[in-house]
Amino acid sequence: MTIDNSTDSLTRVEQIYNDYGSRAKELKEQGTKIVGYLCAYTPLEIITAAGLIPFRIKSCTDKPDSQADNYMENIVCDHVRNCFALSLTGKYNFIDGLVIPHACDNISRTYNIWKHCPGLPYTHFLNLPHNTDRSSIEFFKAVLGSFIKSLEIFTGKPISHDALTESINLYNDNRIKIHELYELRKHNPPLLSGTHVMQTLIAGMSLPVAESTKLINNIISDIKQNKHSASPGKNGARIMIIGTEVADISLIKLVEDSGANIIIDELCPGTRENFPLTDITDDPLDGLAERYLKKINCARTFFEPEKSYQEYLEKRYSTIHQFIRDYHVNGVILYIRKYCDPFGFDVPEIRNYLHSLQIPVLYLEEDYSRSSFSRLSTKIQAFLEITSTYE
Amino acid sequence: MEEIKKRETRKIATETAARVGLMVKGLLSEARKAKEEHRPVAYTFICCSYDEIIRAMDIVPHWVENYAGICSARRDAQRFLEKAESNNFSRSLCTYALCGLGFDAQREESGGMPPNAPWGGQVRPDMMLSSGQMLCDSRVKWFQAARSYMPDVPVYEIDTPWPQYEDYCDYKDVQNYYIKYIVEQLRGLVKFLEKQTGRKMNWDRLSELVNLVDRTWNLIWETYELRRALPTPMDTGDAMNTMVPLAFMMGTQQAYDFFKDLHDELQHRIAHKTGVISDEKYRLIWGGGLPSWFALTDFNYFNSKGAVFPVETTYRMIEATYNFDIDLSKINDPLEHIAWRWVKYWTYWYDRARKRPHSQPDVERLIQYIEDYQIDGIVMHEAFSCRAWHVGLLGQLKLLKKIYRNIPSLVLESDIVDISSYNEADTRARIDAFIDTIAVIKGK
Ligand code: SF4
Ligand code: SF4
Repeated sequence: MTIDNSTDSLTRVEQIYNDYGSRAKELKEQGTKIVGYLCAYTPLEIITAAGLIPFRIKSCTDKPDSQADNYMENIVCDHVRNCFALSLTGKYNFIDGLVIPHACDNISRTYNIWKHCPGLPYTHFLNLPHNTDRSSIEFFKAVLGSFIKSLEIFTGKPISHDALTESINLYNDNRIKIHELYELRKHNPPLLSGTHVMQTLIAGMSLPVAESTKLINNIISDIKQNKHSASPGKNGARIMIIGTEVADISLIKLVEDSGANIIIDELCPGTRENFPLTDITDDPLDGLAERYLKKINCARTFFEPEKSYQEYLEKRYSTIHQFIRDYHVNGVILYIRKYCDPFGFDVPEIRNYLHSLQIPVLYLEEDYSRSSFSRLSTKIQAFLEITSTYE
Repeated sequence: MEEIKKRETRKIATETAARVGLMVKGLLSEARKAKEEHRPVAYTFICCSYDEIIRAMDIVPHWVENYAGICSARRDAQRFLEKAESNNFSRSLCTYALCGLGFDAQREESGGMPPNAPWGGQVRPDMMLSSGQMLCDSRVKWFQAARSYMPDVPVYEIDTPWPQYEDYCDYKDVQNYYIKYIVEQLRGLVKFLEKQTGRKMNWDRLSELVNLVDRTWNLIWETYELRRALPTPMDTGDAMNTMVPLAFMMGTQQAYDFFKDLHDELQHRIAHKTGVISDEKYRLIWGGGLPSWFALTDFNYFNSKGAVFPVETTYRMIEATYNFDIDLSKINDPLEHIAWRWVKYWTYWYDRARKRPHSQPDVERLIQYIEDYQIDGIVMHEAFSCRAWHVGLLGQLKLLKKIYRNIPSLVLESDIVDISSYNEADTRARIDAFIDTIAVIKGK
């Protein structure tokens, strides 16, 4: 599918989102190799610098009919399971390779299953440490070096420092634009709905980075020129959503259809993965190692304890606190997938922290599925009624 | 409590394994005594790579997973699981961690041990030593979460990863940077412990303990290999006890002596053809998964059907160091020695896997054991709350059958601690059906 420039930017986003993977398929037909990946921890800059197109394996709202249960245990979080089940249906048949980062047990312990099941020409396990001290950064740089080598073997071409720096710049541009997109939501009412933002981010995960940036640029300029109204046009509660990876727009749409605005998030895709930039460093791997290991604020990383527990909480959740202030948030939804260990262990402390900020919190632990959403609807309604009394 | 009294206890085949209960009580009372005497106590994790370091620094370990296992085996974990759940920890998380966190929450709230705490209870530590590696998210998060109950207790986390098996490259190409990293992580731990205790590491003592651990590993390997005998003198039911000195007492003379006794006892049993059961008909491998500690009598149930487990992959966390492709005795720095032993352990089956098309190391290990121990069937356990050890077992089984042979298999489903996930009648019906299948195949 070639991007149709005659339609308005949000319609184009919707097309790409609805036909997820169509652009990658098209590029593949033109001879470009596509490398699938799971999770925010895959350094896309390196894949792009290798002349390949990174493509995020996306899960879905309901488990597709496939042989997945014969290979993958049902104690794996439904995100990873659905990604795998979808792959077995042939939806991602156009990918030439797969990168699995050591994000969490669910992702890393399934590496061998991915390796043996879809039978891809290239697979690579990217071993991220949990710690973030100097030695961890050095180790992670070495891991990135091995990743580069593996791609060089796969493509038969070396990856130069210049290509890496250029690629880092492309991704930084993209993330700066995403940041701008979020800024539009600071308005009251926001100029762009949370649903549209999430749709844009998801669509972007399936495109070459420059195309994604162009798309976002167009949305921003369309909105600034009042070309179309993407404003939800309502003064509902301003809700932040924090949680694990989302598969699509359903959850955000569910909240927005209930009358609220999702104004900011800490999600994947979302601010967690898209806000941090990469520093331009003499050795590009320095900047990349710092970004992926230290700047992505994910529960899978070990957070150094501070002198006091309160100091630790302040530091650990400072970004969330900042978002709450900057975006005038009046309620938080904490959405955790069942069987997600890294985030699951954080729930009590993050709830306590949010309560200390006197922000109402709705905690939802669910599968990301249509059946669970119908249950959630009532809870969300009730929560929004409470938040309306907070200002 | 009524239920506990009625609970059958597992019959133990070897006299040596029967001593383990007392040893575990000894570990717990040692931690309590250390607290009274103001000696440093640390919460510690199984398979941590820092055994010798804490022993050399005279830090008394309290093994949290072991304690959760005790609560489970006593069938007295539910109250702690529920406590953790009431504090918003999801019941889908690791139930060792939930049991430990629930226990800590109760102890910290009441300022004393929870009433009737199994075997005297879990003491308040002076520090918590995480060891997440690539093995387990829960162990990276657990002590961080425990700080909400004990905000003043410091946590230290070490990363000790190992190279992943890849078909297209040899792990030896990357092992050096793994070693370097692990050594630096261990060095960081030593510094942390020196700061906490105000004492300096005695490096000579550490070297002696490192050497003792090598010797203990080799002795355990030789002891477990004796179980190849027909009939087998010891099975997995006992190994779920002998894992205590293996996992929680490494770096102590007591662990070495224990395995020396076990070795002698097994030799004696073999000489007298004394098997776990008198009429051994079927030989099984426990091919993965932690056991349901509240249902260890299932091993006796297998025995009652003529089946024994001469070998298991679970808790066999040692290899003979003389089989490594490097001579550890030539490494002078004890931390480097530990790092090499660690990496060589985790990559031990890699070279073998490379020789068989489409194989992978954990499957290769199963194949080797199946052949060495003359195995008729494979049993695995899927514990719902632990992804670290239980995700990937189905895949291993599939691959085993594809690249080796269609060996009968049984995958039990329950948990390590949460007894509500267990149904004895169903489990035993599945065991019956499995044994019947093997009987038919063997009869052919
Ligand atoms: S949702 Fe949690 S468990 Fe699942 S992939 Fe993400 S971090 Fe891992
Ligand atoms: S390995 Fe499994 S049982 Fe052990 S602490 Fe980790 S999640 Fe829990």
